[in-house]
Amino acid sequence: MAKDAGRILTSHVGSLVRPDDLLAFIAKQQDGQPYDAKAYEDCLRRSVADVVKKQVGAGVDIVSDGEYGKSISWSRYILDRLSGFEERHDKTPGFKSAVAGKDRRDFAEFYEEYEANYGFVGMGKTFKTGSWFVTGPIKYTGQALIQRDIDDIKRGVAGSGATDAFMPLVAPASVVPQRTDEFYKSEEEALFAIADAVHEEYKAVIDAGLIAQIDDAFLASVYDVMVPPKTLAEYRKWAELRIEALNHALKGLPQDRTRYHICWGSWNGPHTNDVAFKDIADLVLRVNVGGYSLEMANPRHEHEWRVWETVKLPEGKYLLPGLVSHATNIVEHPELVAERIVRLAKLVGRERVVASTDCGFAQGPFARRVHPQIMWAKLRALAEGARIATKELWH
Amino acid sequence: MPRDADRILTTHVGSLVRPPKIVEYVDAMERGLAVDQAAFDELLQQSIDEVVRRQQQAGIDIVSDGEFGKFRSWNFYVLARLGGIEERAIVESQGGSRDRQLFPEFYAEYFPTQKLPKRGTVYTVGPVKYTGQAALKKDIDIFKKSLKGVDVEGFLPVVAPASAVPMFKNEYYKNEEEAIFAVAEALREEYKTIVDSGLYVQIDDAFLPYVYDLSFGSADLEGFRKWAQVRVDALNHALQGIPEEKVRYHICWGSFNTPHVGDVPLRDIVDLVTQVKAGAYCIEMGNPRHEHEWRVWETAKLPAGRKLVPGVISHSTNVVEHPELVAERLVRLAKIVGRENVLGGTDCGFAQSPHVRRVHPSIQWAKLEALAEGARIASRELWGRKAA
Repeated sequence: MAKDAGRILTSHVGSLVRPDDLLAFIAKQQDGQPYDAKAYEDCLRRSVADVVKKQVGAGVDIVSDGEYGKSISWSRYILDRLSGFEERHDKTPGFKSAVAGKDRRDFAEFYEEYEANYGFVGMGKTFKTGSWFVTGPIKYTGQALIQRDIDDIKRGVAGSGATDAFMPLVAPASVVPQRTDEFYKSEEEALFAIADAVHEEYKAVIDAGLIAQIDDAFLASVYDVMVPPKTLAEYRKWAELRIEALNHALKGLPQDRTRYHICWGSWNGPHTNDVAFKDIADLVLRVNVGGYSLEMANPRHEHEWRVWETVKLPEGKYLLPGLVSHATNIVEHPELVAERIVRLAKLVGRERVVASTDCGFAQGPFARRVHPQIMWAKLRALAEGARIATKELWH
Repeated sequence: MPRDADRILTTHVGSLVRPPKIVEYVDAMERGLAVDQAAFDELLQQSIDEVVRRQQQAGIDIVSDGEFGKFRSWNFYVLARLGGIEERAIVESQGGSRDRQLFPEFYAEYFPTQKLPKRGTVYTVGPVKYTGQAALKKDIDIFKKSLKGVDVEGFLPVVAPASAVPMFKNEYYKNEEEAIFAVAEALREEYKTIVDSGLYVQIDDAFLPYVYDLSFGSADLEGFRKWAQVRVDALNHALQGIPEEKVRYHICWGSFNTPHVGDVPLRDIVDLVTQVKAGAYCIEMGNPRHEHEWRVWETAKLPAGRKLVPGVISHSTNVVEHPELVAERLVRLAKIVGRENVLGGTDCGFAQSPHVRRVHPSIQWAKLEALAEGARIASRELWGRKAA
C-alpha cells in the first residue's frame, strides 16, 4: 500500500459474520465434541472463497478472509498457535469482563443487561472466560494453521478481482493481557517473548504476498480499566512498552505491507471513558507500519478527524479511517461517508486515505455486531461513498 | 421559541424512558385491569416532578413531561381523545416499508424484540371531535405543577394530523382531504389549549417522512409530495390563530434502529416542512442516515424568525456522543443559519411508547448531558469566551 491509485480505495477491519454451516463446526470444536476435520476444512475454504467474492461484489478493494479461520476471538485465536500458555477453570477468579473499567462502573445496570442479551461484551453467549497462565517458554507453534489461512485466502482472491488482500493478526499487547505469569521474570520479558513468537506469524503472511494487519484493541481500551485511579502518564508508560514490543515484532518487515488497527473495544456501550486519540496519537504513530486504522465513525470518536489538523502524518504513511460503524443498525448514507473521506483527505492528502470501518463486524465466531444483511449494506455504502469522494477529490 | 439567549439552548424530542412502576400501571390499564386511579395519578405527578428535575440537572433548558401521561404511543394516545373514529383490525406492529423488504431477515429478528404497541386501521365513521379535554387538562396540570420553582421552560409533545391517522380509511366525509381537515380541526383544540396554558406545543409528525418509504418510494416522489402537501395544509389549518413562536414541529423517519436506506431525502421535502407555521423545526441530524443533511440548509431557506432544533444525539446506538462532536454539529449548522437560530436537540424521543426503550435510561441521561456539554462548547465557540 499504496501508490496513488487515482481514487479512494476501500477496505475494512477484517472480521465478518460467519455463515451458519461454518459455525456448526466451530461450536463442536469449542465444546470439545467430535467433528469431521476434513469436512470442516472444506467448509472453511469454501466459506472464505465465498466471503472474498462477496466483498469484491460489495465494492471492497482490499479484502480479508473474514477471520473465518480463527477460533475463540480476534485475539484469543493465538492461544491455539502459541506454546507456554495454559487455561485453568479452577478456583482462580477468572475475569468477568474485558471492560472492567470506569465505563462499566458508571453504567453497571446497562452492562448487566447487555451481557445477559449478547454475552461477554457482545462476543456471543458461548464465549468462555477462563483464566490464563504462562507456564513455559512462549513459542510460535501455529505454522500449519497460518499456512492454511494463507492458502484459503489466496485461493479465494485468485481471479476474484480484489485489488489486494490482508490478514488480521493480533498485536503483542492484545495477546491475553489479563494473564498470570508463572514463568518469565518480568512483564517485559514475557512481552518480548510474545513479540518474537507473533513475528513469525506476521512474516509468514507478508512472505505470502498478503498485507499483515496488526490488531490492538487492548492498547486503547486498557486506559478505561487503568484510569482512574491511575493517571494518563502511567497508562502511557504501560502503552509505550507494548509499542516497543510491537516494533520488535515488526523488525525487518516492510512498512508498505503492514497496517495497524486500534479501537476502543467494539462492544455497543457508552464508551464515555475512552482515552482521547489526541492523547495517544504520538504513541500510535511510533508503530513501524504503513497504515493506521482508526475509529472515526461512531459518535465517541467521529470528531477526532480534527486531530489531523495538528498531528502530522509521517511521510509515506496512510490512514484507514472508520467511516461506517457497527454500533448502529442504521446504514450510513454514502454522502456522509464521502463527507468524512473528503474532510480527512483535505488534511492528509487524498492518496493517503483508504476508506474503512471502525472495527470488525464479528470479533469472534459467535459475535455479530449487526445482522449480516446490514453488514453488507454498510460495506456497499462505504464503497459508494468512496466513489462519491473520488469524484470530488480527483475531478 | 424562547427569546434569544447569548448561547445555544438545549431541548429534546419529548419521550423519555418511563420508571418501571409507571409501566406496571400502564400495562395493567391496557389489559383492562382495575387500578387505583388516585394512586396512579400521584405516582404520575411524582414521576414527572422527578423527570423534570432530572432534565434540568442534565442541562436541558426546555424540558418535557417525558410523555409519561401518554398511553399506547406518541401518536396513538390520541385515538382515545377523538370521537367519530373507529380503529379496526388491530395487529402486531411489524414495520411495513420498503426497508423491510430489503432486509427481511433482519426485520424478522428485530421487530419482535421492540415491544411496540399494536396498531390498527382508523376509520372516520362520523364527525371527528376532540373529546380528550379531561386527559389533556391532566397532562397540562401535572406538568405545570412540576415546572413550578424550576428554572426551565416546558414543552408538551402532541401528534400532528398526518400522524394521528396515518393510514386511515374514510367512511363519513366526502373525501380524504375533508376528513384529514376535520381531524386537524379537532386537534387544534389540543394545540391551542397547551399554548393557552403557557407551555410550548410540539407537533410530532414522524409519519410525514415515513409514509414515503411505507407507501410511495423514490419512483413516486410526486405522489408522495401530493399526499404530504394535504397533510401540511391540514396542520396549518389546525395551527390557525396559534402564535408561531409557541409552536415547534418535529419530523423524523421512524425511530426504529433499522437500516433506513429508503428514507426520503430531506432536500426533497424541506420546502414542505418549512411551510408549517411553527417557530422551530426539530429534525434528525444525529444518525448516520441523516447526519449529512445539515448541508441542505446551505441552499434551503429557513423562513425569517424560525429556528432549527437539529438532532445532534442519536438513540440508535449505545455509544454516547462526544460533547465535541455535538459542538461540531451545532457550530457548522449555526454558521449557515445563524447562531441565534439553532437549539441543540435529539433525533427523536427515547421511548415512543411506555413499553419502548431505545437505550438504557442511564445512557439516555448520559446522552442528554453530552448534549448540554456540547451546547456549552458550541456557545463558547460561537459567542466567545463569555458565553455560559
